[in-house]
Amino acid sequence: MTAATNLRQVPLLRRYLTFTWITLGLAAVILVLSAFNSPSLLVNTLVSGGMWAMMAGGLALVFGVMNIPNFAHGELFMLGSLTASLVYGPIRELTLSSKSDVLKWLGPFPGILVACAVGFVAGIILEGSVFRQLRKRSRESWVMNTFLLTAGVSVIMQNTDMLVFGNFPRGISRYWDFKPINILGVTLAVDRLMVFVIAMVVIAAFALFLQKTRTGRAMRAVSMDETGAQMAGISLNGVYRLTLGLSSALAALAGASLLWLLPATPTVGQAPLLVAWYVVILAGLGNVQGAIIGGFLVAMIQQFTAYYVSLDWVDVVPTAFIILVLLFKPSGLFGSEVKGVWEQ
Amino acid sequence: MATQTAPAPITRARVISSSRRTLITAILLGLLAIALPFIPPFTGQDYQRYLVVAALVAAEAVAFDFTGGYIDIVNFGFAAFVGLGAYTSALLAVDLGITPWIGMFLGAIVSGFLGLLTGMLTLRLRGIYAAVMAWFIGLALMGLARNLVDVTRGMLGLNVPRLLETSDNLPYYYIILAMLFLTLIVLSLIIRSRFGLAFRAIGQNVQAARASGINPTRFLVINFTVSCAFAGLFGGFYAHYYGILTPDVMAMVHTIEVLTVAYIGGRGSLWGAAIIAFPLTIGVELMRTSLANLPGLHLIFYGVLLMLVMIYQPGGLAGLLRRAGAWLDSRKPTQVKAEA
Repeated sequence: MTAATNLRQVPLLRRYLTFTWITLGLAAVILVLSAFNSPSLLVNTLVSGGMWAMMAGGLALVFGVMNIPNFAHGELFMLGSLTASLVYGPIRELTLSSKSDVLKWLGPFPGILVACAVGFVAGIILEGSVFRQLRKRSRESWVMNTFLLTAGVSVIMQNTDMLVFGNFPRGISRYWDFKPINILGVTLAVDRLMVFVIAMVVIAAFALFLQKTRTGRAMRAVSMDETGAQMAGISLNGVYRLTLGLSSALAALAGASLLWLLPATPTVGQAPLLVAWYVVILAGLGNVQGAIIGGFLVAMIQQFTAYYVSLDWVDVVPTAFIILVLLFKPSGLFGSEVKGVWEQ
Repeated sequence: MATQTAPAPITRARVISSSRRTLITAILLGLLAIALPFIPPFTGQDYQRYLVVAALVAAEAVAFDFTGGYIDIVNFGFAAFVGLGAYTSALLAVDLGITPWIGMFLGAIVSGFLGLLTGMLTLRLRGIYAAVMAWFIGLALMGLARNLVDVTRGMLGLNVPRLLETSDNLPYYYIILAMLFLTLIVLSLIIRSRFGLAFRAIGQNVQAARASGINPTRFLVINFTVSCAFAGLFGGFYAHYYGILTPDVMAMVHTIEVLTVAYIGGRGSLWGAAIIAFPLTIGVELMRTSLANLPGLHLIFYGVLLMLVMIYQPGGLAGLLRRAGAWLDSRKPTQVKAEA
């Protein structure tokens, strides 16, 4: 991305004729054209895109700040959907019997919020019990070692869930039991709309937090230059704890919000994990903003594959696309080469 | 090998004695592995089946350690490369009637070729790209095996002719043991050559390696290709041993098993993985059969063990044994002194 460093000297035409802009432009055109053809494609892209953006944003944040390629991100999604299903079950009985619309509106929120909190705590425990222990001992080939550690975490969490809660889906048909809403001729289930709203609110809050607050600035500082951040008086351990906590909370929130679509099973996190990684590789490792845009892009590729080809090929087509991106733009679409201090 | 970590200055006499000790240990362990099916608990068919599985996992872990331990790139799609070799060999045998003995090597070539392509695409980037991309490619391959029902029969599984007519496990054990020994010898010869020197240099510090005139990408790709080719070879054995092949052979769980064994054995040693695979795999197989009502317990065990080793004992078994060897070496001169 030499163009970005020296914008003024690049002619206007060439600035936007890059691989990234052509891809994004094509995506936008295709999306708009298809919206006339079948509006459900656009709606589905936006709904799942919001969730993938949340997953991928957290994954990119952890890689950017802590240099951990988190393979257990999907298990935090699973934790969220499990918690939500356990909490929401009894509440559902209550709200179903009551006639009050307010209760019906508020019913799903305790489950989602508790899932978010559980995710946050799980992230903090993970940082303290695993990554901090390794960091104290050795930072040699940190990225690969932590990747392996998170793979271990993933296996443990998945199989513990299977042992304790059993290998069967705990799903719900819907969170909000209302009539579908009609927007611009598209009938839209309330759940889809709410999920989109939740995703937008959370992503906006997340972006504001990173850009405007002192803590967010500290996190960005650590991701840019750890030693420098430490010299400026930032407590690294605090930032690490918060980073993993936040990212886990986002994953758990995504899991809880999608409970009506993906019932809680021990392996429910695998598909979202894969998508989050697609996005992060596409957008460039550790690039949080890129990951949020990429979330929508990957959602679009998936929805189009499912619609025009078949659901079975949903994993194959994005892989082919990623191979293209790696061939032409190895640092990712929004390529920022985030390099850890501990890497060579 | 033990001399590398020995604290005292290395004299020529010590190098010989220590490498001779390594050689003797290796031969003794090899003989033990050959004699194992005749030692009481392993005489039954059940236990001999565990032995075959253990030797297969050992061979896979050695091939895995060749990349994981030396160039520090974790092949997260390892099981898929095994599966690609398995499917290649199986389909050649089923559709074209090519004998498995040739098919296994053709499977190795196909897996190696895919490894070459993957490596050329990702290994010029940071290691994590190769790891994640191998995972993606593994998932895509598994998707292909599932979806191309006309060719692979999908989840129904492919009926594959077995290597031998017999249902006895013993001959299979000796075949896979021979493959394990061959792999160990070939890979250690590569590691001892100037290729191995380059691999280790790159694994420790890419910049320094580049500064000393090594083209990192080329060596990384060579290493990755060789490892994938061996994975494909063992896949061929897998297919023609079990006689039935489903896309599950490419599942992530299998990669996790292999990498756990490789890392507990000790990264960058090759033989550590081969030794530890036997007790670990047999123990886990016993755990799986005796605690069948608690599915997944053996995977939790693997996960916990992997994490403990990664954090507290990064050298694994090989690291422990090397330290023990160095300790033995450091004791010898003092004894000599005392005699003199």
